[in-house]
Amino acid sequence: MHRLNHFARVAALGAVVSLAACESKRDVLGPTTPPGGDIFKSYVALGNSITAGFQSNGINDSTQRQSYARLLAASMGTQYHYPSIAGRGCTPPIANTQTGALVGTGSTGQTCDLRAASSVTDILNNVAVPGARVLDPTSANTVASNALTTFILGGRTQVTKALEAQPTFASIWIGNNDVLVAGLSGIIVPQPALGQNGIISTLAQFQTSYEAMISQLTAGAPGLKGVLIGVAQVGNLPSLSFGGLIASSAAIQAGITAAAGKPVTVHPNCTGSTSLINVPSLVGAIRANSPVAPPIISCDKTSLTFPVGDLFVLDAQEQATLSATISAYNAYIKGKADAIGFAYYDPNVLFAAKRANGEIPPFPNLANATATFGNLISLDGVHPSAAAHIVIANELIAAINAKYGTTLKPVP
Amino acid sequence: MTLHRASRNTLALVMLGLPAMAGAQAFGLNEIGSCAFARGFAVTGAPCADPSSIYWNPAAMPKARGLTTLVGAAIIKIDADFTRDSSFTRYEGDIPTAVVPHLFLNYRGAGKLAYGLGLYVPYGLTSQWKDDFPGRFSAKKASLQTIYVQPNLSYQITDNWSIGGGPVIGRSSVELIQALDLSSQSPQPGVTFGQLGFAKYTEFGRVTLTGSAMAYGFNVGLHGRFSKNWELGLRLLSQLSFNYDDADVVFTQTPTGITLAQQNPLRAPPGTQLDAVLAPQFSTVLVDQKVSTQIRHPAQVQLGFGYSGFDNVTLSADYAYVGWKSFNSLPVNFQGPAAGNSRVLQEDYNNTSSLRLGAERRFMSGSALRVGFSAAASAAPPETVTPLLPEMDRQLGMIGGFLPLTAKLGLDATYAHIFTPGARGRTDERAAVSTITQAIALNNGAYTLKANILSLSLKYAF
Repeated sequence: MHRLNHFARVAALGAVVSLAACESKRDVLGPTTPPGGDIFKSYVALGNSITAGFQSNGINDSTQRQSYARLLAASMGTQYHYPSIAGRGCTPPIANTQTGALVGTGSTGQTCDLRAASSVTDILNNVAVPGARVLDPTSANTVASNALTTFILGGRTQVTKALEAQPTFASIWIGNNDVLVAGLSGIIVPQPALGQNGIISTLAQFQTSYEAMISQLTAGAPGLKGVLIGVAQVGNLPSLSFGGLIASSAAIQAGITAAAGKPVTVHPNCTGSTSLINVPSLVGAIRANSPVAPPIISCDKTSLTFPVGDLFVLDAQEQATLSATISAYNAYIKGKADAIGFAYYDPNVLFAAKRANGEIPPFPNLANATATFGNLISLDGVHPSAAAHIVIANELIAAINAKYGTTLKPVP
Repeated sequence: MTLHRASRNTLALVMLGLPAMAGAQAFGLNEIGSCAFARGFAVTGAPCADPSSIYWNPAAMPKARGLTTLVGAAIIKIDADFTRDSSFTRYEGDIPTAVVPHLFLNYRGAGKLAYGLGLYVPYGLTSQWKDDFPGRFSAKKASLQTIYVQPNLSYQITDNWSIGGGPVIGRSSVELIQALDLSSQSPQPGVTFGQLGFAKYTEFGRVTLTGSAMAYGFNVGLHGRFSKNWELGLRLLSQLSFNYDDADVVFTQTPTGITLAQQNPLRAPPGTQLDAVLAPQFSTVLVDQKVSTQIRHPAQVQLGFGYSGFDNVTLSADYAYVGWKSFNSLPVNFQGPAAGNSRVLQEDYNNTSSLRLGAERRFMSGSALRVGFSAAASAAPPETVTPLLPEMDRQLGMIGGFLPLTAKLGLDATYAHIFTPGARGRTDERAAVSTITQAIALNNGAYTLKANILSLSLKYAF
């Protein structure tokens, strides 16, 4: 017979040691920290059409995949779920500015191919909704709600959806739609007779809504980092061209006539005018024989009968008012970013430079049906193109790296 | 608006849970008798000196003549969690502490026969998750409670060899609670709410399934001593098939809190509460009905050896084989409006093997110290690690002892911890027709699981 004086102790210890070793594999089973760093574990993008990936007056999976938000997520190396719109889109983007043809067979302005079944997830990293104003991220139903609001958010608010992702990093680009229609219509004070609401939000209203959004978001995601993006100056859009430029160019006038399908007169008050004319909208209204758009371009609101010279025209004073409003918005946004430790990015430096160097053309090339507004602006004359999203993403990456000391790589 | 396929989809969800829940028994601890538990379940060849052998080896003759009893329970605390890839969110389980009883009686007179009765729980589990767990659409709660009653007769063939066995009468009850996901329902043919933008995991109702069944089988064994220091044992517990022929399904509506925006795709006026739109479904389509199915409790075979060549020490090693492959498919027969959707669900469970090691050191006082170790491979393959049971490879370490309280009464106590390496798994059900690769692609996070168990038994010899 043998004796095992410490048998029990040794056996127990051996068992525990071997079992503890088994538990060490747990770390490799779960999600891994993204290459960009811990702060990018869960990224969410709030915003409007630009962030959603809306281009050429439409949205589909192809344009959604070109959003700067997706490019940012790729640089971060983090998960990115977006509400993919199936097929041709909802509505399909413009394919040809001359014919008005939309992407996809049989597409019309009413076409909506619904959400792709594969994109039906609970967590979305891009919760931006086309048409959203500063009031919308905290509200499920506002006057700005549209079909895409439900298609993307399913009855929740942007902030609620964003918080479902347990975000560690957020980008927010909201506020453009509070001034965009005013800028494009040339009506910055409400004109109910024209169905125009002018500038949507006063600075105080803007601040209140923005503050509510930030408060809810940061309360729901303590420690959240991010970048706030300023509102784009509408005057930099290629849809808007100086009246003086139009008056000085017979070729431009010929192009307008051709696009309108009828002779269009340029009023002498446009000579040397710094008023900005929304040529695509005005020409479209003339072509459609709109009662408020006779075939004449006037660059001031007093020479001819209202609303000629007012609708689709931003005179110098209106431009100043609009620009000041946007600048005030952006001053507030920057202050908010500083206060909560977020990065701030002002897109207007980029857009102004591109406008100045002609990459955002001073006048749309109406003869070019597929690059009417240059390489950086899509075929609706408003929304950034795929190329512009890359530029925007890289500028955001630079801003984020500068703020947080991260090393996100630029998008190729 | 009508939910054309709501009934079918919902009921399919209900039944999808069942095979995995049965798989929960793959986590069956066999915590039957504190002595056996402390010795790592390695007691087929070297049985404990108590009547729990009625389960562990029905052939093992009582060492003491007369009537002996063993009564006790295991207190099981299981901690599970799931860490989701997409958000790094960790969801903790909400599993109640379980108390699992056992009771054995055995009598041996002057002859070669011994008579016994066992009441034990070889399979059973309650898994439960909190309300925010994304896998609640697979299982918010799954509870399977099964008890086996076994009369037993053992016979001593020779001085060293005996046989034994008895019928097993099983009683099983099941409860399954699942959340209902609006996104998978259809407001019109060919279109789901998800395609209209309503997010996955939008809970709009819950379904509760309850049922019970009886089943019959047997447990037999062989025990012998083939040398002075060596013993062996072999046991076979048969498969028991429980037919839940009259299970109840009950639906309840869950508020979504969703207010429909203007221009919503349901064309409801802005400001309409989605719950009001859905409410009629709970009085027309999503109504209480019956369902039947079958769950097979797998057979067990265990072969063990015991060595008593050291002073006051018994060493034992067993190999156990459990036939989980009996859950390869599961028939589902609806008895209500969804009868046309009856089907056979395919599962991929594997038979499992486990190694069991144990040691006991006895002292002059009559007390004893025991340690054990057991390791088992997962019954569920990588494509079937689900909220019902995040099944994974596991190891158990045990330590326990026996303390005589009086000349006839003694207390066995055992503490065990279950170690697991974690496992990749999913929170969503796989499609009815899907490949293994497709099912594995659904894995969306990591489950971890651990358990602490305290087992206590009182032994009394009359």
